[in-house]
Amino acid sequence: MTVQGIRTVTSARNGVGAFILQCKRLDFHYCDWAGSSRGMVSFLKHHLPSFAKANPQIEIRVSPRPHKHPVIKGHYVNGREKAICVRNLEPEQIFNKANLLKAASGEKLKRTKKPIASLNESVRGIWDPYHGGFKSV
Amino acid sequence: MFSRTALARAFALPIEQQCARFSVARACLHSTAAAASTTTKTTSTSPKNAHPTSPLTATPHVQTSSSTTSTTTSTSTSTSTSTTTTTSSSPIDLKKPVAPTFTSPLQLTQSLLAQLPQLTSQRPHYIVSHLHDRPYLLTQGDSIRLPFLMPKVKPGDVLRFNRASVLGSRDFSLKGSPYVDERLYECRVRVVGVDAEPLRVKEKTKRRRRHVQHIKSKHKYTLLRVMDVKIKTAEELLQEGAVVV
Amino acid sequence: MKRLQPQRWSSSVLSPQVRAGCRLQRRIQHGLRYQTTTTPFPVTEAEAKQPIQDLVPPPKKRSSRSAISKHSLPSPPVKAARESAKLAALHARLYLPARLPLETLARTLVDESADPNPDFNNESLATLGHDLLTQYTSEYLICTYPRLPMTVIFAAMYAYVGPKTLSAMVKEWGVELAVAPGGEVDPGHLQFKRLDPGVNPNQPLKNPNRPYENEATWRRSISSKIVYDDVFGEPVRASVDPRQQVQSADRYAAGVTPEQACSQFVRAVLGAIYLHAGRPAAKRFFEQHFISRHLNISDLFNFREPARDLSRLCARENFEPPYAKILSETGRLSRHPVFVVGIFSGKDKLGEGSGSSLLEARSRAAVASLKGWYLYSPLNVRLPNSMEEEGAAPWKPVHVDLGEVIV
Repeated sequence: MTVQGIRTVTSARNGVGAFILQCKRLDFHYCDWAGSSRGMVSFLKHHLPSFAKANPQIEIRVSPRPHKHPVIKGHYVNGREKAICVRNLEPEQIFNKANLLKAASGEKLKRTKKPIASLNESVRGIWDPYHGGFKSV
Repeated sequence: MFSRTALARAFALPIEQQCARFSVARACLHSTAAAASTTTKTTSTSPKNAHPTSPLTATPHVQTSSSTTSTTTSTSTSTSTSTTTTTSSSPIDLKKPVAPTFTSPLQLTQSLLAQLPQLTSQRPHYIVSHLHDRPYLLTQGDSIRLPFLMPKVKPGDVLRFNRASVLGSRDFSLKGSPYVDERLYECRVRVVGVDAEPLRVKEKTKRRRRHVQHIKSKHKYTLLRVMDVKIKTAEELLQEGAVVV
Repeated sequence: MKRLQPQRWSSSVLSPQVRAGCRLQRRIQHGLRYQTTTTPFPVTEAEAKQPIQDLVPPPKKRSSRSAISKHSLPSPPVKAARESAKLAALHARLYLPARLPLETLARTLVDESADPNPDFNNESLATLGHDLLTQYTSEYLICTYPRLPMTVIFAAMYAYVGPKTLSAMVKEWGVELAVAPGGEVDPGHLQFKRLDPGVNPNQPLKNPNRPYENEATWRRSISSKIVYDDVFGEPVRASVDPRQQVQSADRYAAGVTPEQACSQFVRAVLGAIYLHAGRPAAKRFFEQHFISRHLNISDLFNFREPARDLSRLCARENFEPPYAKILSETGRLSRHPVFVVGIFSGKDKLGEGSGSSLLEARSRAAVASLKGWYLYSPLNVRLPNSMEEEGAAPWKPVHVDLGEVIV
């Protein structure tokens, strides 16, 4: 047995080949009685069908939540969820919030400085002092 | 009040179907007369060219099911309703790539023609691509978080970067002055989503005023993924109509 | 919204004007499913011989019987696929072709352990999908890296289409697992019977076709693994003997692990795409979901004695015998010396490596040169499956290597 193989798992690169939208489900909660969900009810009546038609990848659930403020909850492929309270918002604002949840990656918000993250090795190689004619180190 | 299960047993009806009928009614209630005020944003005016022949677009292909349907989760009195959606018109037609505006064919010098095979045959490649005059050193599969929110794109869109200063491999590189001709390479990126930074709170104070002003900011950033970095070989360039000078 | 009065619809059912019998029968036919729930698998020899169609009674006979409620079914009825929001969302999320109906996608989500009836589970689709997956992956690996040793090919196959990768993909696709299978479950969930706690899922398998199977201490060579084992170099699970099928039903009665069920589902999706949308769609799906994943093949090597292997390789290929040479060094007498050693064959440098001792640097250099040999990849790779398309250019033979060094 000269060479042995090491078993590993390939890592995903979403978007390189296939693209999978990270938001998998949106829950819309509203209240029939309360005034804070007036915009939400109007959104559900007039805007939601077109929104759902434009985003068939997302499963959409609508359920009443009496005596509470209206909430949109996004569930993501990585298992996390994001909730946005949309009390007293106009339907257009709620539409923007739903689009925000749709485009989010589901990751926890982090402050990063480097714009690029790569799985590949450095193409040009890493500099070391032992090559390139430096005789004395 | 009768419980639904008892009624169903009395009439030997499958329970779930009644529930399904309820929820269908509810779904229809919500979707009445909702064709108006759709916000269809076309993103064909993205800053770079869209991929002309990509099979995957932002919006998926035609769905099979023809009508809005719904389910309920259980037989209890849960009132959650889910609607699915379907598109019958293919959105591919909306997203035409911007036609190239080149007036003259690509000109290859003899020295470039002689040196190019060394670059193309050594893999992998990198590209230093410029976006708003900032360089990004990219290889295939990298994920980029742009330091700004790119307008008029949505997740799934494919952009093509056409401004690069360096193409290279481990031992060779092709530098442009200042940029390499965009017909020499292909670099496509896909919009993956939009990310936000954590909320920042800046405390502002003035002198002799017992008041602290809290300024909040939460910027949004566009996430991209590099689909491929391809440097065209000399044969491909000649096939596409390049002229040897 | 809470006050949906049952009186409203119950009166319409009960009222004498409406022909209640008609409506009832229509509903019964909706919920009915043409499936045998009592004898899921052919038990006797005679039953095993007759085709599956005979086992399933024609639909007209069944309609006279009482309605089967969803709770008695082992998996969701076919009709429920159209009503599932989860399923439609999954179909759209994966950009599946429109020709693949939701019903088939629902069928790919039903594991054999959930529904033993082969007409309603994904076993047949998964078998097809597994064959396609392994064929495409092995073609890709062997044509792109024609000199890979067989053990590394096994490891790379496992990395690309192994069960761990497939179950990770299921998670990335956003598929949720049902807690327990049943007819009332939303068909958008992956349904399988879970293994009872305390059962070891990794019991050693025995292949009856393999000679000397019972000799546990005997070494199993790579060539015998190619012949007798599966694509990952593991003993095969199922036997081809039809008499063993009853046993396999018993095996699934114990349940399966989530990893097994997930991998069966992914394979079944590929098989379903192949059947409904054709070969080009299946190939595209394979490229976009499997080959596009990231794997560094040079990480899969584990050399025991690289220097010896390299000298045997040079002898086989009629190169000059390799020798190691110090290229650069620093701090030989210090606590952290660094040596950079190159391995040369004649005047050609095969590889180099650095280490804190001369031996370490030499073996690293030998590993680098061996990887340089094994990871050779031709420039314009064309896979044999491109010949299946219409109007393909004539085939040019690809480079086939002698194989790994045998010491």
